[in-house]
Amino acid sequence: MTIEIIESTQTYPLIGAGIDRVDGPLKVTGAARYPADVDLPNLAHAVLVRSTISAGKIRRIDTASAEAAAGVLAVLTHVNAPRIALGPKSPLGQTPPPPLQDDRIVQYGQYVAIVVAETIEQAAAAARLVQVDYEATDPLLELSDARAIRLENPYGTDLQRGNVSAAFDAADVKFEAGYTTPANTNNPLGLFATVAEWKGDTLTVHDATQWPSNVRPTLATMFGIPESGVRVLAPYVGGGFGAGLRVWPHVVLTVLAARTIGRPVKTVLTRPQMFTGIGHRPNTAQHVKLGAARDGRLLAIDHAGAESVALEDDNFEATTWGTASAYACANVSARDQQVRLNITAPGSMRAPGTAQGNFALESAIDELAYAIGMDPLALRRANYAEIEPQSGLPWSSNALHACYDEGAERFGWSRRAPQPRAMRDGRWLVGYGMASATYPWYQAPCRARVTLSRDGTAYVRSAATDIGTGTYTVMKQLAAETLGLTLDRVTFDLGDSSMPDSPQAGGSGLTIALGSAVYAACRNLVEKCLDVVRRDTREPLHDSSLDDVTAADDGIHRNDDAQLRSSYVEIMARHGLEDVTADGESTPATQEDTGFAPAGAFAAKFVEVRVDADLGLIRVARVVSAIDGGRILNEKLATSQVIGGTVGGIGMALFEETASDPGIGRIANATLADYLVAVNADIPAMEVIFVGAPDRMSPIGVKGVGEIGLVGIAAAIANAVYHATGVRVRDLPITLDRLL
Amino acid sequence: MTSSRSAGSGSPIPSREFAVDPSEEPAYPRADAVAVALTLTVNGREQRLLVDSRASLLDTLRDHLGLTGAKKGCDHGQCGACTIHLDGRRVVSCLTLAAQANGRDVVTIEGLGGADGALHPMQQAFIDHDALQCGYCTPGQIMSAVACVREGHAASADDIREFMSGNLCRCGAYLGIAAAIQDAASRMREG
Repeated sequence: MTIEIIESTQTYPLIGAGIDRVDGPLKVTGAARYPADVDLPNLAHAVLVRSTISAGKIRRIDTASAEAAAGVLAVLTHVNAPRIALGPKSPLGQTPPPPLQDDRIVQYGQYVAIVVAETIEQAAAAARLVQVDYEATDPLLELSDARAIRLENPYGTDLQRGNVSAAFDAADVKFEAGYTTPANTNNPLGLFATVAEWKGDTLTVHDATQWPSNVRPTLATMFGIPESGVRVLAPYVGGGFGAGLRVWPHVVLTVLAARTIGRPVKTVLTRPQMFTGIGHRPNTAQHVKLGAARDGRLLAIDHAGAESVALEDDNFEATTWGTASAYACANVSARDQQVRLNITAPGSMRAPGTAQGNFALESAIDELAYAIGMDPLALRRANYAEIEPQSGLPWSSNALHACYDEGAERFGWSRRAPQPRAMRDGRWLVGYGMASATYPWYQAPCRARVTLSRDGTAYVRSAATDIGTGTYTVMKQLAAETLGLTLDRVTFDLGDSSMPDSPQAGGSGLTIALGSAVYAACRNLVEKCLDVVRRDTREPLHDSSLDDVTAADDGIHRNDDAQLRSSYVEIMARHGLEDVTADGESTPATQEDTGFAPAGAFAAKFVEVRVDADLGLIRVARVVSAIDGGRILNEKLATSQVIGGTVGGIGMALFEETASDPGIGRIANATLADYLVAVNADIPAMEVIFVGAPDRMSPIGVKGVGEIGLVGIAAAIANAVYHATGVRVRDLPITLDRLL
Repeated sequence: MTSSRSAGSGSPIPSREFAVDPSEEPAYPRADAVAVALTLTVNGREQRLLVDSRASLLDTLRDHLGLTGAKKGCDHGQCGACTIHLDGRRVVSCLTLAAQANGRDVVTIEGLGGADGALHPMQQAFIDHDALQCGYCTPGQIMSAVACVREGHAASADDIREFMSGNLCRCGAYLGIAAAIQDAASRMREG
């Protein structure tokens, strides 16, 4: 099967055009309504109470003072909460266990009560009156804890080829080292909020989710009501970076509270609760072994990763997954292990697994380059994987070479002195570093619907979300292009589970899935219009098939004679139609279908750092990111995506570490003053270059750029810091004390 | 609970405003509301409110006046998402008690544009430079940016980056934000 990739048909091509974000005006005026902004008649407010220990049980919980406090409507604990069913499995794993079901504590910050009151002030004050007496036990907190359960090949992604140990032993040059990455916390600026309202057995939930089509069946199962009785709304979400991919316990508790008091309830998490209740990037310990020939050819790659996971929850964090396809190397072993601990449940955070795995692999490749005495970029070029090395199939697209070439050129890589500590600007040691990056291809089934009205405007929708990624904008562009309508005639809407099902905004997979569904729906709509006129010989387009026509200029014309055309308005008026609706769906193509190995985005990242020779201060001076993201639907917004990912990568490299008290597990820096994220003054000049061609796995040719901006930045910075200082930091974050 | 932990001690609010005798204070924290009457100007309109003495200006704007443009990102004055103008100066409204705004002039993102709905040059510049993604920090960024220009802290790109570093953007739109402010600063000076 060959997938035909669409080409831009309009005289003024809409695909690729850097139009402004269509939701911009609502967002700059404060009019965009996020879940926390929802107000309803008779709304009550809830505040959650969290456990202060990491393991043990609740001996006694005293809610009398809280219940007696002014304005309090209900206090739910494990003692009086109704039983809630276990949620269903999603493609990301089991739904987090329902809260308040027993007296056991398995993580710090686990919810032990929800207090509902008339006002937020009353709820917050009453929540502090709940007294909990714990029987604490010794929690499992460290990856190295021998008592912890270890899950081998937990994601089914371990890959082997060749004979790694023999190839490593025989290699001219051998390198091996361990790398660690700490827990990071997503910290979207938007505090996660849920507003739940019951009317009889029907439930409406406004929620900071990245996946309404998952929240709906999950809540239906947990509360024992039909899916048709649940509606989930998320038209605007204040960021997520993966935190909104699951139905976390606060959502369930809010729904439960609303059912209990028979009134709508709003819960807005506090910032400290954002550290314990909605997932985070788990810490990892990795070991990389590389064997190479003197000319730089890789002979063996061995990459082992261990990642923490909560005691009773799932998380997909395939850290070494990308290693097997990163380089042309005959002997590779890449494997993961998950370690069950009494930690706050990890979840997805921008480029889950890959962010950490790439740091270790690309740091090690850099170290190998110095061991051989070879330019790190030249070493990567020498091991470029012309075909996908695990399957032996051609890539569906791969412009990594162009990323190397154009990125290096723009950055001025040739000016790099080979030796560390050889470049200096006054008191600043200057370092150049780079890293190669990819993020795995991902696509899931998706549906979309389009309705064309007699006035010639189209309304396109799907239950997707736009968490700042630009979905509203690019889907409007794509629909306008496919229907041949001007932008002002197309509305794209999302964020409502009653719309056709969409996969999550996550895994860099939404644009390809939703874009393909929108494309299919719009093509089906054109076909429906042709069906309307098919037997009417007075119609210019009678007896035309989809292949005979082009949609353009607010109508349809024949390819063999552009004079044979009708506008949509004419077709509908002549046939007395109020509107025409068409559905579209997309399913992921497989490598068996296409004969290609599905390729995610590729990138080369080039970074200049400056390190104060005396003080160890680290400043990122500039970043060049060369990205192969397939077809870019909107270069302005895609550039923002990549820059945003880069900012996250700088945070991961230099600032971010969720710290917890040893032996206790309390998160010790759970505020935005203590958990450092990159601020405006930390961010240098950046350039983003898009290279490559449309990808061959879908008709729209996109690959998604949500994660690729982040991947590789931590390694490129670590490599640049080594080049500047001669100090290799293998444990993130790279703080100045490591350099003194 | 000992009297040394009563809510009245050290409080900036005069004890006469408490509903009960401070000597009979319940355990800290107080769980009962004390109503405070306020008169303040919000976006040019006088508002008379009766609020909980513990209410922040942010929650009051959002929950009582329906002005949800100012956002809660931390409730601790650490992220800047709730930035508004109080008597013309940028403040984090989450760390401002509503009672402190009595008799004062408040401008929120909803009051920044022209009466005809025209965007303020800063709002337009944020769109032009794609200085936002999820948009949650955006109202606070814009209110902070307008004040930054008025304070004279937008003379250079480095100044802007420094004086806008109290407004976090987790989507990482900082380059666009700095560019938008540079652009709007010149238009604001002309205007």
